[in-house]
Amino acid sequence: MQTLAVIRLEWRRLVVRPLAWVLAALTLAWLAWNYTLLLGSFLAGQIQRAALADGPGFTDLVAVPLLAQLAQLAFLVVPLLTMSAIAGDRRNGTLPLLFATGMPASRIVLGRYLALLGWLLLWLVLTLAMPLLLAHATRLDWGKLAAAALGLALMLSALAAVGVACSTFASHPAIAAAAALIIGLALWSVNFGAQMAGINGGAINWLAMSTHVQPLLRGLVSSADLLWFVLLIALSLALTTRRLAADKERG
Amino acid sequence: MTSKIPATSKTVLQLEQINRRRAGRQAVQNLSLSLQGGQVLGLLGVNGAGKSTTLSMIAGALRPDSGSIQLNGEDFLERPELARRLIGWLPERAPLWAELTVSEHLDAHGRLRGLNGAALRQARTNIIERLELQPLARRLAGVLSQGQRQRLGVACALLHQPALLVLDEPANALDPVQVAALRSLIREQAAAGTAVILSTHLLAEVTAVCDRVAILHEGILRHDGPIDADGHAALEKTFFDIAMHGHTHPARAA
Repeated sequence: MQTLAVIRLEWRRLVVRPLAWVLAALTLAWLAWNYTLLLGSFLAGQIQRAALADGPGFTDLVAVPLLAQLAQLAFLVVPLLTMSAIAGDRRNGTLPLLFATGMPASRIVLGRYLALLGWLLLWLVLTLAMPLLLAHATRLDWGKLAAAALGLALMLSALAAVGVACSTFASHPAIAAAAALIIGLALWSVNFGAQMAGINGGAINWLAMSTHVQPLLRGLVSSADLLWFVLLIALSLALTTRRLAADKERG
Repeated sequence: MTSKIPATSKTVLQLEQINRRRAGRQAVQNLSLSLQGGQVLGLLGVNGAGKSTTLSMIAGALRPDSGSIQLNGEDFLERPELARRLIGWLPERAPLWAELTVSEHLDAHGRLRGLNGAALRQARTNIIERLELQPLARRLAGVLSQGQRQRLGVACALLHQPALLVLDEPANALDPVQVAALRSLIREQAAAGTAVILSTHLLAEVTAVCDRVAILHEGILRHDGPIDADGHAALEKTFFDIAMHGHTHPARAA
């Protein structure tokens, strides 16, 4: 119940803060504009593609590219959204109020994380609603779209966990946002150098988030990719909990 | 002198040999004291004496390095979740979430303290009425004056009707009328059996509202006893003796 109370508190704070709405409005407007461009391009090329036996469809040319754009925006949006998760409480002195309810640090972290994740998943659902609105008028590849949506949901979950961790370790929300942005981009591109050198396997590729998101965007769901996200989320939340518990000890 | 309100015999809080280092120094040393239901204990000391550290430990926001804390006879350090229902805490400067309204604050605190549904609504209505917060109920905490923030902090601490009320400088930024109302509220809580511990710099605050006074100096309890019959003057002498010269006054049983 206490975790639920923290979720409600954080959710309420998100809902009344202009930042969350401004981010949602701007990004969804940007995605809607791009959606119309993708749709226009898809409609313009329909005649040429009709000649192909197994050519790409609406899902490949409109829905998945739209989700890929959401993934790009997530690198900026998630740090901005998560930066105050704990650092904000630390700055305005409200963190001890949560400690004084006798709640373990893990519940505070989980509550904050789940509230932010709720907002991010809503953001994903609203983006998904754009291609889904045309589901009756076109042939969607439901399996591929579901895999891509799962990939995005996992990516948002992982970035949110990293963001909450940065917010717990940083003393100032702006530092938390910068750290989360840098870590997110580093996680995405850690293997780019290796790929440019022609190395397409190995540990460095396994470490990169792009290695695990791209197959999902192509419709390939593998347990190894899912495990990578679960490990990153678990590691980030465990470090966050540990740090918060240490904060309580230190006072 | 007898207590203004007879304390119930039940010991609500028992500290035994509490120690805590903070910011590289020993903030609290071998602190032992107890508090019964219905008693109001004033905690005095100069800045840096260890008052806020002590109150943070009692409230459950900070763990002592050693020692034990019993809350209603149970080991508080083993069961920190006892704080949820039993303790109401107003920290120094009443920290608030600026983006929430007064009413939302009360709801959030109530839920964190285990109140829900009708019980939460009833508790919120009662405390808003009692602290005359109706005109502020829909106002954002971020735009409240310091005195209004303090009243909201007190409301949050009292919302779930705790057995132990921990107030860190509750009269900060309150005007004289509000101070009088706060004193009356504290006595009312004590009369209902709540144990109250309040830290303050104001000796008059202690003599006006407390049954007992404890004086901390450099993290050590130098005095613990009832307010004497000659009240303010005696307390002032004791306090300055301790604060200026570091004298220890024999602790008396409360």
